[in-house]
Amino acid sequence: MIKVRIPTPLRPLTKNQGEVETTAGSIANMIETLNSAHPGIKDRLCDESGELRRFVNIYVNEEDIRFLKGKETMLKDGDEVSIVPAIAGG
Amino acid sequence: MVAHAKELAPYECCGLLAGTGNTVTRIYRIKNVVALEGAQQLASFDAAKVAHLERLSPAERAEIAFVMDAQDLALAQKDMRRNGHTLQVVYHSHPHDPARPSVTDIKIATDYEDYWGKINLPVPAYLLVSLMHQTPDIRAYWIKGGAVTPAEIATS
Repeated sequence: MIKVRIPTPLRPLTKNQGEVETTAGSIANMIETLNSAHPGIKDRLCDESGELRRFVNIYVNEEDIRFLKGKETMLKDGDEVSIVPAIAGG
Repeated sequence: MVAHAKELAPYECCGLLAGTGNTVTRIYRIKNVVALEGAQQLASFDAAKVAHLERLSPAERAEIAFVMDAQDLALAQKDMRRNGHTLQVVYHSHPHDPARPSVTDIKIATDYEDYWGKINLPVPAYLLVSLMHQTPDIRAYWIKGGAVTPAEIATS
């Protein structure tokens, strides 16, 4: 299983769960799987062309997927994925 | 930072300072992407702030809020690692308001305490550049558990 940490702004889509478990072979695959279980989540993470939006980071075991292989980053059993909204303020 | 704030006024600028120990030697300007579609829904703004932002045009949103470009952040983080630097400060400007964290700043910084470890970065100090008076005002703070305490800054 892969543990995915869900940030507060997305929790309305996951019935307020801060962590969900999934099985997926890659980040792209994980986003599809999450979207089937929690419809709407893909739209919040990816733009129309399927690219990760500019104000979200996805980390696999504390490493930004932008340093790995982006959405093609492979996942294995036991990996921990964190979806992290961009730093913001007012 | 003041130059960055002035260049972007009346919009808010944002960026990072990095270095070693408690010394800052490097500035990273980060794009403010609050005007992008969907940005304010994913940032941890509270409902009142989102409602306020939605009444404004995308350009106007950047006058009262910032959302850091995640791509720029990733590049900055990569550069810090290459130079053996660590993140020390997250800064942004208040074009129309004092150099104090807003309610939104405190809420998001508090939410973010959980994230820093997960994204492999230390908890930074927060620095505000205010342009509300003719002389820019610069102040830094620690924000922990919803409490704000001033952080000392010295320049050499």
